[in-house]
Amino acid sequence: MADLASRITKPSDAPVDAVPPAPTATAGEGNGTEEPVDDGVNKGLVETTYDVEVKLSGLQADDESLLYSGVASFEELGLPKSINDGLLAMNFKKPSKIQEKALPLMLSDPPRNMIAQSQSGTGKTAAFVLTVLSRVDLTKPTQPQALLLAPSRELARQIQSVIQTIGQFCENLNVEAAIPGSISRETGVRANVVVGTPGTVMDLIRRRQFDVSQLKIMVIDEADNMLDQQGMGDQCVRVKGMLPKEIQTLLFSATFPEKVMIFARKYATNAHEIKLRHTDLTVKGISQMYMDCPDESKKYDILCKLYGLMTIGSSVIFVRTRESASEIQRRMEADGHKVSALHGAHEGQNRDALLDDFRSGRSKVLITTNVLARGIDVSSVSMVINYDIPMKGFGDKEPDMETYLHRIGRTGRFGRVGVSISFVYDRKSYDALSKIADHYGLDLVQLAPDDWDATETKVQEVIKSSRARPDYVPNASDK
Amino acid sequence: MAGSSPPRRQSYYLAAGSPQRNVLEEILGDDRNSEARHRYLLETAKREHDRVREEAERVYREQLQREERQRLLDARRKEEERIKLEEALAADRARLNELKAKKIAIPAPLPDPEPPVIVAPAVNGNVPAVPPPTNNVPAQTNGTTSQKPTTIPAVPKLPSAPVPAQIQTQTPATAPHKAPEPSKTVNSVLGINGLLNNTPQPNGAASNPETSRSAAQPPTQTRPDKYAEIHKNLKMLRKFMADQAKSNPTLKGRMGDMRREIRKSVGQLTVTLGVAGVNKTQQQNILRLLREALSNQVQSELMDPSSFVLEPRNPVEGAAHNDATLPSIFLYLINIFAKAAIAQFINEAGARPETADPVGVCVAATLSDPDFLWRGSSLIDIMLAKFRIVCPVLFGYRGSEKTEQGRQRLGWWKDGGQWVPEQQHMDRMTGLGAGFASISLRNFAMSKKTNPFPPRVYWTAMARIVNTPSAEISDTQCVVLKAMVENYEQKFIEFYGTAAIAALRTALVDFPSRAPQKSAAVNSLEVLAQMLKRDTGLVLG
Repeated sequence: MADLASRITKPSDAPVDAVPPAPTATAGEGNGTEEPVDDGVNKGLVETTYDVEVKLSGLQADDESLLYSGVASFEELGLPKSINDGLLAMNFKKPSKIQEKALPLMLSDPPRNMIAQSQSGTGKTAAFVLTVLSRVDLTKPTQPQALLLAPSRELARQIQSVIQTIGQFCENLNVEAAIPGSISRETGVRANVVVGTPGTVMDLIRRRQFDVSQLKIMVIDEADNMLDQQGMGDQCVRVKGMLPKEIQTLLFSATFPEKVMIFARKYATNAHEIKLRHTDLTVKGISQMYMDCPDESKKYDILCKLYGLMTIGSSVIFVRTRESASEIQRRMEADGHKVSALHGAHEGQNRDALLDDFRSGRSKVLITTNVLARGIDVSSVSMVINYDIPMKGFGDKEPDMETYLHRIGRTGRFGRVGVSISFVYDRKSYDALSKIADHYGLDLVQLAPDDWDATETKVQEVIKSSRARPDYVPNASDK
Repeated sequence: MAGSSPPRRQSYYLAAGSPQRNVLEEILGDDRNSEARHRYLLETAKREHDRVREEAERVYREQLQREERQRLLDARRKEEERIKLEEALAADRARLNELKAKKIAIPAPLPDPEPPVIVAPAVNGNVPAVPPPTNNVPAQTNGTTSQKPTTIPAVPKLPSAPVPAQIQTQTPATAPHKAPEPSKTVNSVLGINGLLNNTPQPNGAASNPETSRSAAQPPTQTRPDKYAEIHKNLKMLRKFMADQAKSNPTLKGRMGDMRREIRKSVGQLTVTLGVAGVNKTQQQNILRLLREALSNQVQSELMDPSSFVLEPRNPVEGAAHNDATLPSIFLYLINIFAKAAIAQFINEAGARPETADPVGVCVAATLSDPDFLWRGSSLIDIMLAKFRIVCPVLFGYRGSEKTEQGRQRLGWWKDGGQWVPEQQHMDRMTGLGAGFASISLRNFAMSKKTNPFPPRVYWTAMARIVNTPSAEISDTQCVVLKAMVENYEQKFIEFYGTAAIAALRTALVDFPSRAPQKSAAVNSLEVLAQMLKRDTGLVLG
């Protein structure tokens, strides 16, 4: 899981629009002494402008103090050494903004529920994994004590591997994935932490292969999606009904539409809430551009050209249909790329294998239909391409704002540089993208496929400027 | 059978006269099924068979002789080359030792005038994160005595005299050995030890990179920082190419495409997980582009490569390119290739260090290609110049993360006039540390080519970090060190055996334990030691 390596510090480190300190001191040097970096700690590395909005349930003096103090390092959380070592092994150095605020609240006793909304790639997963690990009694290696639910098998496996990585020094930590085909029918669940999809978890509980009597904590990741979708929402409610009443419930997502929020508050009663304001939702470190294609048939060639314009680690290409996924795969392989094409046509284990190729780096291009937009974290993804603009509604009439956000959130993980390029080629796609841009207040940069030298220069400039100012505000002084 | 039949028949026809008549005769003749005829045919066939076989054997014998001759020739040439190199090395060392002896006398009278010299360049250090050009500052800047260097355990301490020579050999031009030479390298490290004297500043926050740099420089070089110079020259090369493109449409038409192709191919390299040939297409593509550049079809101007190598070079017998110039497009593309590799280290390996390895393999393979050597040696200095700028701690530079100047020396990048966030800086360092290891720990023992970046440079870089005085240990160094070691411990040990284990102990146990502050970066070195113990059974503590 080097994937997640050092996800933790980004947001707090992101430079702000504050005016840079007087450039590299001159006087100090003459004296042979060295200038401290601004205020001696961090003023040069300005703090992020966005604020984490916290709503406490019930005004308890204790919680207040926890909240305003926050934590500056993982040590302050008083986690066991084994967990801390796991964080260090992953190059985690200090807590992200959301971790700073959420962890003291989630770790406090008695346990309280939490609803947390934060941008993709800001360390949500690590936040709830730390909470889970700190709640589990490792002297009971096979007694289930924590349950984590995710909307897809991919995400469940990913969370499982994060727990195993952070918990690599925790002896007797057993994590099982409750997804189709992975829990032995003979033994049932024999782990202290269980990560699964709601359907499979429900089946296991019903068949009495999953002893829920001592569960202390439940986490729902991508909660907006889980509680909203017809089938899964019902399943989540039913699963909850089978669990101990006093279980600590944590709901996490990058987005929480209002109606889902109302439901979430019922689901996790009396919860603390941590939330970001709407316009802060797009990850500003991601340079968002669009490519003006002369017509649809040119998109393939243009796509291949993109890979010479900038340094790209891994990339994800979102397409609408399986057919175009296959065609793109063919063309890109001919161009020397190693490609995994993942869509609904693939089943279970096969999907696992394709995604594992991508995670391990055996393939560096992932072409996918919508199934993967959510939650999948491969930290070296540096480019996301919307080969087709995400649409929703009857006859695909409406641009799909949330999906756009989740898609571009696959890059720029944890404060790294990321680029997203959306393809437009006709009126409809152009209008759809414009609406998305308006909705989130984005300033998309236009690229043209006729002069690649010029396009290359432009892309490099865009990357450079966004890297300099992840929290770019139009009026901030720059240069 | 199908293949061998027709010729045989034809030879029979030829032997028997006009083919056409014979065909007819054969078909119409009364005796075509007779035993005599059958025997006759068999005999003819056998004769033909023998003839072919004899001919084949003769050719085979000749070929063997030719090969043998060639082998002897090659062997002789190699020997001659070896002797020549050894002679050159011996001469170099002698010269260096001489100079060294001379130089020690020089600094002593100059302690006071020197410090201002350090300051001046730092002030105009507007180039982000480029540490100020260095000068040979005497170790005893403030009159304080030098600190006792830490030594690597289990390795005999040796005088520092051989060091410069050793470092000298680090440059490919004079590197005569393919295989690593543990003992020798150890010498050099200890030697560096001896030279890594430093004078802590009054506030304890600052270090004196110039000191370590001067230690790292072969005494022959009075030039302040040749790598920084090369780096500057490369920037000028880029501008030069852009100018050429304005008046040369052929060049303009091709240059951008070649650049993007190289960048794309480097980006396409994937982790191999031990499978051979995974990145063959990409590697071939890069070689093809560089060869195309070398052929200079685009008629770029010729240039003297001397401004891009550390040491002046003279023609070497048998080298493919001995001329005083090479096509500028070729040098430009080598520069682009190095740049692409560094960018890949920073952007991709920063997040996932394991992705550095295929890039390292590709860099080593490409730059060692005989076609791309100039006067017998690789152009890897172009790569090193970039490393020197983006990751100075590999070259012995030190500094405090809490000061402006310290950050500059540590290679903390600036964007838009501001320091990049700490996380981003540490990511960069991780990627570059892993990248450095991925190039320098390649095994060329089975290759005919000369390793352009042998393991001793890895050792040297590690030594420069772990020999930092305790008070000056920085998180940046810890992060680079960790990235250099992680996933490469096995290769390191393969090259250096027990010396490597001792070095690992120094890096992962002693070094963090004497760090003044137990930051997360420091602790992560100790955790790496734990992981090695758990995963490989290697006990260092």
